[in-house]
Amino acid sequence: MKTRTKKRTGTLVLAMLLAVLAGCGSNNGANNDVNNGANSGGENASASAPTSSTPDSGKKVTLTMMVSGTKAPDGQDFALDIMPKLVQEKFPNVTLETSKLPDEQYFTSIRTKLASGKGPDIFWVFPRNASLGVLDMAKAGYAADLSDLTFWDKISQGAKDDMSYEGKPYGIAGGLDYLGVYYNKELFTQAGITEMPQDWPAFLEACQKLKDAGITPISLADKDPWFLQFGMYQIAANEVYPDEMDFDTKLQAGEKSLTDPKWVDTISKMKELYDKGFVIKNSLGLGSAQAAQQFVDGKAAMIFDGTWDYATMTAKGAAEFTRGFFSLPANEPGQPTYVSAATAAGFALNAKSENLDIAKQVMNYLFDGQSDLFKAWTESNSSISVYEGVPLNHELFKEVNDSYLNEGKSVYFPNQMWPTGVAEEMEAKFAEIIGGRKTTPEQVTAAMDAKFKELWKQ
Amino acid sequence: MNSTVMKKTLYLFALPALVFYLLFWIFPIGKLFQYSVTDFNGYAQTFNYIGFDNFRDLFQGGTLGNSIRNTLIYTVVSVVAGNLIGLGLALLLNMNIRGKGFYRSISYIPTLFSAIVVGFIWSYVYMPDSGMIAAFLTKLGIPSDNLNFLGSYSTALYSIIFVEIWKNVGTTMIIFLAGLQTVPNDLLEAGRIDGCGPFKLLRYVKLPLLATSITINTTLSLINGLKAFDFPFIMTNGGPGTSTNTLIYSIYKMAFTEQMFGKASALGIISFLIIIVITAVAVLLMNRKEVSA
Repeated sequence: MKTRTKKRTGTLVLAMLLAVLAGCGSNNGANNDVNNGANSGGENASASAPTSSTPDSGKKVTLTMMVSGTKAPDGQDFALDIMPKLVQEKFPNVTLETSKLPDEQYFTSIRTKLASGKGPDIFWVFPRNASLGVLDMAKAGYAADLSDLTFWDKISQGAKDDMSYEGKPYGIAGGLDYLGVYYNKELFTQAGITEMPQDWPAFLEACQKLKDAGITPISLADKDPWFLQFGMYQIAANEVYPDEMDFDTKLQAGEKSLTDPKWVDTISKMKELYDKGFVIKNSLGLGSAQAAQQFVDGKAAMIFDGTWDYATMTAKGAAEFTRGFFSLPANEPGQPTYVSAATAAGFALNAKSENLDIAKQVMNYLFDGQSDLFKAWTESNSSISVYEGVPLNHELFKEVNDSYLNEGKSVYFPNQMWPTGVAEEMEAKFAEIIGGRKTTPEQVTAAMDAKFKELWKQ
Repeated sequence: MNSTVMKKTLYLFALPALVFYLLFWIFPIGKLFQYSVTDFNGYAQTFNYIGFDNFRDLFQGGTLGNSIRNTLIYTVVSVVAGNLIGLGLALLLNMNIRGKGFYRSISYIPTLFSAIVVGFIWSYVYMPDSGMIAAFLTKLGIPSDNLNFLGSYSTALYSIIFVEIWKNVGTTMIIFLAGLQTVPNDLLEAGRIDGCGPFKLLRYVKLPLLATSITINTTLSLINGLKAFDFPFIMTNGGPGTSTNTLIYSIYKMAFTEQMFGKASALGIISFLIIIVITAVAVLLMNRKEVSA
């Protein structure tokens, strides 16, 4: 009996101690908040306004966030390290728990979580119809209508539209991404290419010159099937869409099909690169990291990739050289080159979350255009910003970006208008061509079309 | 009298386990049957019942045939080659050689690694140009330009089967080794007295007595092969094209990439039936051949 009382007292003391400690903790938090408010008030009058309106300051809230991608290789990762810290500073009662998974794992995990009602408060969605696209998420009732966020006038209209369902925004685009060709300027000079190719015959000629000079023209990672899209969509942008920008709308309405001669031509042009030996040999055995290594080591003159891989493509390799970036000129002579550009993935809020209002406040703070959080976001973001007044992040993309801004000739990535599975079918079927099977471009488009018809239910 | 009461109460003790079993094992399987007749996409809460359309699509499409063919090749090669190599190793390591403990450990080590690690290592071994095999051949002066194990239609499947065998041969070997040590010495001696050479001893004495081990090993590698997923997933992504798509990998791809949970469930049921039938037939056939010492 006696020991039991002792134990009970002990527990009581422990509990009290914890309570005292917890009290200290929350006091500290409040102090921080006051300091912060004072600081930002001194610097900028308008910044203090939202601070004072922070509601529920007593109630502790834990927000969860899940994004896709890989952790920043050096230093602090925005989603994992910086954002939780800065959100806590601004909203002392809010703890932000974040996790980041590679794309594939993210897709699987987030769908299961959402379907079982355990979705995170903030998650990552992709534009339009892409895998985990905003349309699907809004239609299924998982993504919340974000019309009442305060910063929509600062985001470019195109980016907002790509993240909208029935005219209302359901996602906040992380930026804009271009597909293009990273190239090695020294190797181009060495092969005697004096002028950048402006059309498809000129591009083939440049590849031939590189090959004749004993340089592998293009490094591609066909062991990762999705890599094929990086070249294919740039060709499609110049082949399928220029005189028929509503091709995919017609496709969805059943008026057009993927067996269209324009798609056959697209596949044939890609095939041409393999047939003529311009693509690195054994590309089917190379993963994306290995193909990128070939490029940064100066062993291949070009690689098809997107702006999001800037860090990988500019990493230090075995060779020192100057990088360039251009849109693949898959156009016929005399025609303009279309840029393959698409809205990047971005934040969505869970419509079923209890903390939707607080999540919205966090988003308003993140995109207020002046906070430390906003600055950290723009610095870490590898996509090209669609937020008013944010300068281009990398000089390398200037040419393509200028052409996009000035001429406005651009096409989105086709898979954003396809149901998930069509691009995969294209990759699997095209791999047969790469692997030396007797598959024809017509068979590839037929397979794509069959898959599209199977999956497209509207 | 007392014992019947005891028996009834004893059932109660099984209840918690039974509840868990029903809830987390039988119920999800039931769900699988339900989803197989819907167009459920994996996350939307609304779906329609579409009868046997999923099954019809599967039988008409090319995925099912291709995956079954790949899975059967995978299974047959890994069962036959895996068991032969395992038996060979066991026979070698059962001899009285110096350092046999060391050799036994060495051949068991691959089994201890997870499939992810093994697959990752081997994709570097197989890598064209700078991979281990290519580098080794180049050192020997053999041209390795067209060496592309995982990237070529004709070799990709066999290359990953080899890794499967490499990883599992340890287990097979251990079971055979244990079987060999239960072969009674007097039988072997009697055989020698009757004039058996080493080969005849193996054929007429050791092998019949190893029948139990053979059954276990074959069944284990049969099931392993039929549900092959890890190596295609890690090493080839089912590629090039669809040349390393196994049944389970196709289910995964259908459910999680193409977002056709309903159709994937239907494929799951078909695979389930195939695996059960093949395993049952194999076990029944082999059980007849077992003898006891």
